[in-house]
Amino acid sequence: MLVSLKWINDYVELPADLDPRAFGERFTLTTAEVEGVSQVSMGARGLIVARIESVVALPDAPHLRHVVLNLGNGKTVGTVTAAPALHVGSNVVYAPEGASVAAFGKITTAKVAGKTSAGMILPGDALGAAMAAQEAIFPPGVAEPGEELPPELFDDWLVEVDNKSLTHRPDLWGHYGIAREIAAIYGLALKPYPVVALEELSDEVLPEVPISIADPDACPRYCGIVLEGVPAECAPLWMQLRLGRVGMRPISALVDLTNYIMADLGQPMHAFDAAKVDRIEVDWAKKGERFKTLDGVERQLSPTTLMILRGGDSIALAGVMGGLDTEVADSTTTLLLESANFDPAAIRRTASCLNLRTDASARFEKSLDPAHARLAIQRFVYLGRDIYPSLSNRTRLSDCFPKPLEEITVAVNPHHVARTIGREVSLEEASQRLSPLGLELSEANAHWHVRVPSFRATGDVSIEADVIEEIARCVGYDNIEPEMPRVSMRRFELNAPRELERHALEYFTTAHRYNEIQNYLWYDSTWLSQLGIDPGSCVELKNPAAEGLHRLRRSLMPEMLAAVARNRFYFPAFALVELGSVFEPHEPDDLEYRRIGLISARRGKRAEDDLYKRLKGAIEGWVFKRFGRGVDFVRAGADAARPWEHSSRTAQLLVEDTPVGRVSAINRTLRRAMDEHLAAWSVVWAELELDKCGSISARTEGLGIIPAYPLVEMDFSFVVPASTRYADVVQELGSFNNSLLKEVRYVGSYEGESVGTGRRSLTVRTILGDDTRTLVEEDGLGFRGEFEGYLTKCGYELRK
Amino acid sequence: MDVGQLKERIAEIEAGIAANVCDIDTADALRGLETAVLGKQGTLGSLVKTIKDYPPDQRGHVGKVVNDAKGRVKAVIEQRHRELEAADASADAADAEAFDPTLPGIREPMGSVHPVTAVQWEIERIFERLGFTVEAGPEMETEYNNFEALNIPATHPARDMQDTFWLKSGMVLRTHTSPVQHRAMLKFGAPLRVIVPGRCFRYETIDASHDNTFHQVEGLMIDRGISIPNLIAMAKTLLYEVMQHEVEIRVRPGYFPFVEPGIEIDMNCQICGGAGCPTCKQSGWLEILPAGMVHPNVLEAGKIDTEEFTGFAFGLGLTRLAMMKYGIGDIRVLNSGDLRPIVSPDRLGGPVIAGQVGSGTKR
Repeated sequence: MLVSLKWINDYVELPADLDPRAFGERFTLTTAEVEGVSQVSMGARGLIVARIESVVALPDAPHLRHVVLNLGNGKTVGTVTAAPALHVGSNVVYAPEGASVAAFGKITTAKVAGKTSAGMILPGDALGAAMAAQEAIFPPGVAEPGEELPPELFDDWLVEVDNKSLTHRPDLWGHYGIAREIAAIYGLALKPYPVVALEELSDEVLPEVPISIADPDACPRYCGIVLEGVPAECAPLWMQLRLGRVGMRPISALVDLTNYIMADLGQPMHAFDAAKVDRIEVDWAKKGERFKTLDGVERQLSPTTLMILRGGDSIALAGVMGGLDTEVADSTTTLLLESANFDPAAIRRTASCLNLRTDASARFEKSLDPAHARLAIQRFVYLGRDIYPSLSNRTRLSDCFPKPLEEITVAVNPHHVARTIGREVSLEEASQRLSPLGLELSEANAHWHVRVPSFRATGDVSIEADVIEEIARCVGYDNIEPEMPRVSMRRFELNAPRELERHALEYFTTAHRYNEIQNYLWYDSTWLSQLGIDPGSCVELKNPAAEGLHRLRRSLMPEMLAAVARNRFYFPAFALVELGSVFEPHEPDDLEYRRIGLISARRGKRAEDDLYKRLKGAIEGWVFKRFGRGVDFVRAGADAARPWEHSSRTAQLLVEDTPVGRVSAINRTLRRAMDEHLAAWSVVWAELELDKCGSISARTEGLGIIPAYPLVEMDFSFVVPASTRYADVVQELGSFNNSLLKEVRYVGSYEGESVGTGRRSLTVRTILGDDTRTLVEEDGLGFRGEFEGYLTKCGYELRK
Repeated sequence: MDVGQLKERIAEIEAGIAANVCDIDTADALRGLETAVLGKQGTLGSLVKTIKDYPPDQRGHVGKVVNDAKGRVKAVIEQRHRELEAADASADAADAEAFDPTLPGIREPMGSVHPVTAVQWEIERIFERLGFTVEAGPEMETEYNNFEALNIPATHPARDMQDTFWLKSGMVLRTHTSPVQHRAMLKFGAPLRVIVPGRCFRYETIDASHDNTFHQVEGLMIDRGISIPNLIAMAKTLLYEVMQHEVEIRVRPGYFPFVEPGIEIDMNCQICGGAGCPTCKQSGWLEILPAGMVHPNVLEAGKIDTEEFTGFAFGLGLTRLAMMKYGIGDIRVLNSGDLRPIVSPDRLGGPVIAGQVGSGTKR
C-alpha cells in the first residue's frame, strides 16, 4: 500500500526535520515492512488553471488536437495537445511559456503540425498521478482560469508498505490508521477524524432507507443514505493528485470521493443511482443466478455469493463490485450511498470464486471495523460539502446493525508479559505504550484489563499474546537483549526412518559414485506418453502446476529416466540417486511411501552385466553396513504396474524374506523411446522401499578371530551349465561337511571360449584349519580329494 | 704349508678378490664376501688359527703377513663399499628426478549429494549440537495439520499467502514444514527442541527465483520460560554457525498466524555488506528467518499446557540458503535433474586442472 506523507500530515503534525527514509526504517522495525520510500518531486513551476474554449481535430495529425484555452483576465492561447477526452468548459492544468515541470523541462512555444502551440496542457502522469500517458487531469469547475497552482501541490513523499505484512491489520489499510500508528511511534498527537456530526444526518423528519439483512453473520451492518445535489463534477485537484499518487486513477468527484475515503479510512463504499435504487436487501444469490457487474461482465453466481438486492433484483456483488444497471451515470444527481460491513470469509469466497479481486474486496477480507461503516458516510458528507455546493440528504442516515461487535477486554497476566519479553514491564509503562494505539489499560486482581477499540477488535487483538505483541513491538525488538534459553534435559526417541534415509543417501554418494538429484513430485504426462508408459491410477492434484502434471508419482523411476536422457549429452557414464516420496491411491486415505531410486547408465550396449553387478554390490554393501545382513536377489517377472521393468532381467530384493525393492534394466525399446542415442547405452536401476527396509532388524556385524594355528587356502575351479544359478551352487556347497573346512569364498566366474558356450566356470576358495594343531600335507590332500569328489557328485566338471 | 706357500696362497686369495670385487654390486653380496674371506671360517680369516702351528721364531712374521693381508683385503672391500654407496646415491638422485609427487592421485569414485541436502545436513549438525532432535513428516498432509492446527482457519486471509496444491482427495501438498510442529508436539510433548527439514510445495509461477517445490527447515523450542530474548539469541547462534562469523541482525514485527508475537529476523546483506544491492533490494538487509513465539492456539492444538510452557518457532529457507552458499543464480536447476549445475566438475569428470571452474564457485 502506498502512503502519502502529505496526507498523513492532515492527521499528525510530522516534525519538520523528519527524514522520510529514516521514518521508513522506524516503521519497518515497529509496525510493518516498508518496501520503499520515494520522493515525489515534479518540479512544477508557474502552472495555472486554464479552461477549454474550443477543441479542433487536426486533419493531418489524427492523434493531435488544437485547443483554445482561457487563461483568465480575458487572455486566451492556442495550444496543440495529444490529450484525449477534452471537452469545452473543462478546466485543465496548463503550463504557459516559461513555466517548467521536471518531466519536460522549460515549456516553450513551438510550431506543432503547422500550428503555433503555446505552452502545454499537462498530462496527469507528469504531475505524479498514476494515469495513462497523455491523459489530462481536470481541476473542478470552481477553479478559476488563471488561478496559480503552487509548486508544493505536486510534491510529496510516498512510503510503500508491504501489503502482506498488513494482512492482520485492517486498521492500517487507510491513512488515518497509519497516522495513529505514527503518532504512537513518535509520541505525537493524533488529530480527531474530521466528519460531520451524526445529528446533522439524523433528522427524524426525513424518511429512512429501508434496509433488510437476511443473514446478520454475513452482513453485520449496513448503512445507507440518499444524497441529492451531486451532479457530475471533478474532485478538487489536491484530492485527485493524492489519489493519483497512491495509485488510484482520478475519474470523477463521486468515484474519487469514495476512493479517497477508502484510502483514508479503509472503508469501501458504493454509490447507486437513487432513481433506480430506493431500498436495500442483503441476501445470498439464488442458485444458477447470473449477474452483470459494472465492468460489463456477466458472472455466474452461487448460493454462497452475498448480494445486494432491490425488490428481489440483484444490484451488486456485496463487498466486491456494483452492478451495471444501477451504476451512477453522468446525469445522476441523486444517489444512494452504501457503507457496509461484511463477513470477511464471504467476501473472500466470492472474490476467489469469481476470480474478481478489487480494492474493496481486499479490504473487506481483512475484517473491517463495523464502526467505520457509519463513520465513512459522515466523512463523505464532510468532504462532499466542499465539492457539491447544494449537497443535502434526502433521507436520514439509515443504520441497520443487527450484529454489533462485542466489546473485547483482554485480561493480561503481567508475569506472562515479563516471561515473553524477558523483563518486567510496569502498568505505567504498558499503559503509556498502548494508549496511543487506542488500547486502554486498567488493573484488577493482579491482572491488567485491556479494552480493545473496535478498529483493533476484528480478529487482530483478542487474546493476551496479542497484547504482549503490541507491548513488545512498542518496546522495540532491537531493544531486547538476546539471552540463551535455559532448557530442561530430556530424551527424544530417534526418528529411525529419517535416520535410515540419511544413512542410505550418505552411503550411496560416498562409498559409491551416485549423484543425488531431486525431481518434482509429479509425473509429466508428455514424457510418459513419449515412453509409451501407462502410469496406472495415481493420486491426482486438483490444481496441477500445468496441464499434464496432475499425477503424483508412484515410482521415482519415470522422472529419473528423464534425468538420464538429460545427462547423457554430457557424461559417457553416470549414476543417479534420488530420495523421495511416492504416492499410491488407496481407500479411505491415499498412501505416501519413501523410496530410494538408483540408476546407473553407461554408453555402450554391453555394459549391462557390469553395471548390474556394481549396482548389486552397492545395495549389498549398504544393507550389510546398515543391517549387518545379506540381500537375496530373486529373479522376478516384470510387474505390469512398472512398465519400465525389463521382461527378463528383473529381480526382487529380499532381506530376511522381506521384499525391499526391485532391480532391473531398461530394455532397448524403452531406451530408444527415451532418446535415439540411448539405444546404444546400458541402463540399470533399482528402487528400494525404505518403509519396508525400516522393518528389518539390524544385526551387529560379527568380527573375525585370530586362529590358534595357521590356516591353509585351497582354490577350486569347476564348470557348470550357464543355466545353473550361482545361488544353487552356493546351496550345494553349503551341504558339504568337513571338520577342517572353515570357509568357502567366491573368487570369480568366467564365461568364454575356453569353457565352451553355454557354460560358466566358477572359482571358489576353501579355507582350512584345525583349532588344536597345525595342518600337515596329508590333511590338504585328503580334503582336496573329498571336496573334488563332492563337486563331481554335484555334476560339476573340475577344471585343471 | 711353509711360509712361502702361505704367501703364495695369500697372493692367490688377494688376486681373486681383486678380480671379483668389481662385479659385486650390492651391499649384501659385499658383506657375504667379507665374511667368506675375513670371517673365522673365511679363506684369510681361517689362516689366523694356523699361526700357532708355525715354529715359535716364525710365528711373528707369519702373523704379520696374515694380518697385513687381512688389512689390505679389508681396505679393498671398504673401497668397494664406498663405491656402492656412491652408486646408490647417484641412483637415488636419478630417481628423484623421475619421482613427481605432483602427478594426480588415483581417487576412489565419489558421488555427491544435492546442494540442498548438503546444506540441510549442515543445519542438522548445528542443531544436533544444540540438543535438538530432527524430525520429518509426510509431504501429503491433511488440511487440518497444514492449516487449522497452525491457527489458519479456512476463512483466514493468510491462506492466500500460501497458495496450495490440493489433491482430489482433499489432502494438500504441505505448504510449509510447520505441520510437523503439530505432529512433534503430539509425539513428544513438552519440553521440546526439534528441527524439521523438508520439502514444501506452493502453487506459484516458476521463475529464476521461485519454484513451486522447495525446502525449508522448521525450528521449534518449547520449555518453561522460553522468551523473545531466547529466540533472538538462538537466531544469532544459528546465523553465526551457518555463516561462520558474527552476523548483524535486525528484528522487526512480522505476521504469521501460527506465532504471536511474530517477528522477521533480517540479516545484514552478505553480498553488499549493507550498502544496498539488487540481492537485498537496496535495503541492506536480507529476510532470512521468519519467527515468533508459538501462538497459544497452536500449543493447545498440540496439547501443550500454555500456563506452564511457552515456545518459539522459526523457519529457514534451505533452498535459498543453498543458493546463497553455492552461488546458484537460478532456482530451476535444483529440480532439473541436470547434474552439471548441482555437482562439482571435480567430482563428475575428475579434477579440473585448468579453465574456468563452473559449479562450486560463486557465479
